[in-house]
Amino acid sequence: MEGMKIALLLAAATLFALPAHAGNVGIRVVDSTGNPVPDAVVTIHPAAGVPSGPIRFPWANQVIQKNIAFNPGTLIVPVGATVTFPNQDKVRHHVYSFSKPARFELKLFGRDESRGYTFKTAGAVALGCNIHDSMSGFIKVVDTPFAAKTNATGGTLVEGVTGGKAKLTVWHPRLRAKDNEAVFDLDVPATGEIAKRIQIVLR
Amino acid sequence: MAGGNSILRRGATRLGASLSAKLTLFYAGLFALAAALILLGAQTGISAYAERMVASEMAAGAKVFDRVTTMRYAQLGDAGRVLASDFGFREAAATGDAPTIASALDSLRGRLDLDQAFFVDIDGRVTGFAGALRPAEAETLRTALDSGANSGVLRIGDQRFNAAAAAVEAPVTIGWVVFANALDGGEMAALSKLSAIDLSPRIVPLGELPMGMSLGTATERPVAGERMLAQASPIASFRSDDPQALLLEYSLTQALAAYAPMLWSLLICGIVGVMMAVAGSWLLAKRITRPIRALDAAARRVAQGDYAQVAVETRDELGTLADSFNRMVDDIGERERQITHMALHDGLTGLANRTLLREHLAMTVARPATDRKQALFCLDLDNFKVVNDTLGHPTGDALLCEIARRLADFVGSGFVARLGGDEFALVIDDHQRPLDRIAHDLIKTIATPCMVNGHRIVPGTSVGISILGVDGADAVTLVKNADLALYRAKHDGRGGYRFFEAAMDAEAQKRRQMELDLHDAIAQGQLSLMFQPLFNLAEGRVSAFEALLRWNHPTRGLVSPVDFIPLAEDTGLIIPIGEWVIREAARVACDWPDHVRIAVNVSPVQFRNPGLNTVILQALAETGLPAGRLELEITESLFIDNPATTLASLHSLRALGVRVALDDFGTGYSSLSYLRSFPFDKIKIDRSFIIDLLGSDGATAIIKSITSLADALGMETTAEGVESAGQLDILREQGCSHIQGYYFSRPVTEDAVAAMLDKPIDERRAANG
Repeated sequence: MEGMKIALLLAAATLFALPAHAGNVGIRVVDSTGNPVPDAVVTIHPAAGVPSGPIRFPWANQVIQKNIAFNPGTLIVPVGATVTFPNQDKVRHHVYSFSKPARFELKLFGRDESRGYTFKTAGAVALGCNIHDSMSGFIKVVDTPFAAKTNATGGTLVEGVTGGKAKLTVWHPRLRAKDNEAVFDLDVPATGEIAKRIQIVLR
Repeated sequence: MAGGNSILRRGATRLGASLSAKLTLFYAGLFALAAALILLGAQTGISAYAERMVASEMAAGAKVFDRVTTMRYAQLGDAGRVLASDFGFREAAATGDAPTIASALDSLRGRLDLDQAFFVDIDGRVTGFAGALRPAEAETLRTALDSGANSGVLRIGDQRFNAAAAAVEAPVTIGWVVFANALDGGEMAALSKLSAIDLSPRIVPLGELPMGMSLGTATERPVAGERMLAQASPIASFRSDDPQALLLEYSLTQALAAYAPMLWSLLICGIVGVMMAVAGSWLLAKRITRPIRALDAAARRVAQGDYAQVAVETRDELGTLADSFNRMVDDIGERERQITHMALHDGLTGLANRTLLREHLAMTVARPATDRKQALFCLDLDNFKVVNDTLGHPTGDALLCEIARRLADFVGSGFVARLGGDEFALVIDDHQRPLDRIAHDLIKTIATPCMVNGHRIVPGTSVGISILGVDGADAVTLVKNADLALYRAKHDGRGGYRFFEAAMDAEAQKRRQMELDLHDAIAQGQLSLMFQPLFNLAEGRVSAFEALLRWNHPTRGLVSPVDFIPLAEDTGLIIPIGEWVIREAARVACDWPDHVRIAVNVSPVQFRNPGLNTVILQALAETGLPAGRLELEITESLFIDNPATTLASLHSLRALGVRVALDDFGTGYSSLSYLRSFPFDKIKIDRSFIIDLLGSDGATAIIKSITSLADALGMETTAEGVESAGQLDILREQGCSHIQGYYFSRPVTEDAVAAMLDKPIDERRAANG
């Protein structure tokens, strides 16, 4: 179900913006023991710069609170995107973020009450609920269209990346590094696909 | 004597000291050993107990520490988590609002009485730490927190804390709140108070533990001369790279010192006990050894010849020993009496022996003189040897016993002893009857016939008497003199008694001297032979000479054969003397004409000597004298004692070829049966018949019958002691073939013989007659 949805989204993305010289980058993220790391956000910044124009991702800029959890747990949004936080639970939630890129508090006391927040700075935003300590979610605000999060098998495919040298950044909330990020150099082929296996150290 | 006593005393002391001391030492040693074992056991037990106690206190102490710290960590952690989950604090922490953080921590530090309350963010920045924190320390702290450290002992610099951390999540972990209390001396002292003993708890890094210590177990090691028991327990450590241990130590030496008074009192009790054991066992040993000492003393007295008995006081082994000792002393006494009896009495008859007789005599003589006369009677049995030889020793012994019984009955209150063989002695006083009467009665008593072993025996005796004090003042003299009297009595004829007389002693002395002289006489050539011719009436010439022994003593002069021959026979000197006579006679006679023989007297003693034949053969061989010219003259007495043996000897002499004449025929127990049993060559008629010839017709008839008998048996006859022509005429008339006597010739010397042979005597006699 999810796979099909992603495939459709990918097909749509291919139709909309296919640059002249672009390659696909397949990433597989594993931890130090070789286990797949899901929900890791992979972003690529080509040396030639990111394409101009608004960045769109084929998923909704929305984090639903349902069953005392954020859904999706990790959401990638472009800079300037406004993310809505609909409360689909019967209980109240008090969504907050103390993260530097975006500090806010959204008191979502009613069912189906939805509020939005516009993320103006790129970076990782940790979401919490002041009422429910166990609730944890992340919004990765990116300034590149070449971003994706790994699936359950730790893999993901970034398509149509501008060829040439690029910086590959892997973010994961438990990645043991400054800002929970690890940066790698990458040679993106003009056409075709490159597969990259990234090993990260988790907390 | 004093020396002997001191030896006895020393011996007794040594016995007592030795056994008592041994017993005392043994028991005291035993008790000391027991006391030492108790002491050792107590010490070992106390030591083990103390060790166990300390070890269990340590285990308990470690547990208490664990509990207390766990509780403390829980409190600190709870407080930390309360702060960390506070929204405002989280916001301040997430936004890096250091003043807010610090103020919040300060406020809590005061409220919760904490020594440290600080915040470490995810990047290692520390806020609110009281004091200075080096970057390296901050980084190690962050690393520890990042790897999950939440409570335990935390070492920062040279300070230790009980620390607990709580993560600040927004909602990702952005840092940690750390609350801590200093683990200073006061804290440890407070902890120490929770134990019964001061275990001086210390926290040390695991790496700094003394060598050889293993976690969780108490280990003993010497520290500055003391036995230290130490136990290290692992404790929660805040930093896993800096493990800490709780070190508990306690001096066993001090722990044991608490028990020292007890051990000392035990030791004192032991020493007092040993002293009591010494005293007690000494007294006991004294009691045990007292009867032993008594026995020892008694044994010494017995050894000295005293009769000593020991009083039996107890019924134990020592009592039994004393009893046995007393019995032994009795037995020894009895045996001594037996031995003494055996030494002083005759085994066969039970009478006193010669030794006891001497003692008795000595005792009696030594007594004050009384008016009573006491006399020693010595006696021996006549012909006792014959009884022994013919009836056997058992019968002889039985006879002696019978005689002993009679003497014992006879002697009454007197004394009787057996001197050996058939000799007896009695000591009797003349209180009841005179001494000669006693002697008479004694002989009569002995002479009563008796039946012994089926044999009828008529004993006979002679008695010699010496009077005590008169005939001698000592036992030896008295016995000697009584023996002399006995000798004389026997000499005078058997069955009589004689009192000792001084002359007997002198005679005995003389006899003894003569015996010595006679001994010398052979060696010194004082003996010589005289020759008396025998005249053959039919041939009218000298047919033989009888060799007669003469002893010419240098001082005594000529000694009669009557005096010395019996002595020589008694002493056995007759054997060498007789041998000399035969040799000398043969030597002289060998030069004589062939028809002249030599006659030699042979004493009964000499005759019984088995060497006689050899002596004769040697004499004949040396001189060349023909055997037929040697004539041996023997007496009838030879036939009395043992006729058969005498005959055998006579035949063996005859076999040598010598002639045998029967001398002194008619004087003794003449029996015609001798003449029948042995063919004598000649009968010599005793001179007593010849003397009677002129005064008695009966004598002539006897001569006639003798010559007739001799003729009939083919024997020659020689009349001895012919002194007158009248005698010669009658003898010639009655058919006597030879004569010998002064009428014809006195004995002459060797030299005179030759002259006599040259000039025929019958011519001279005939001319004179």
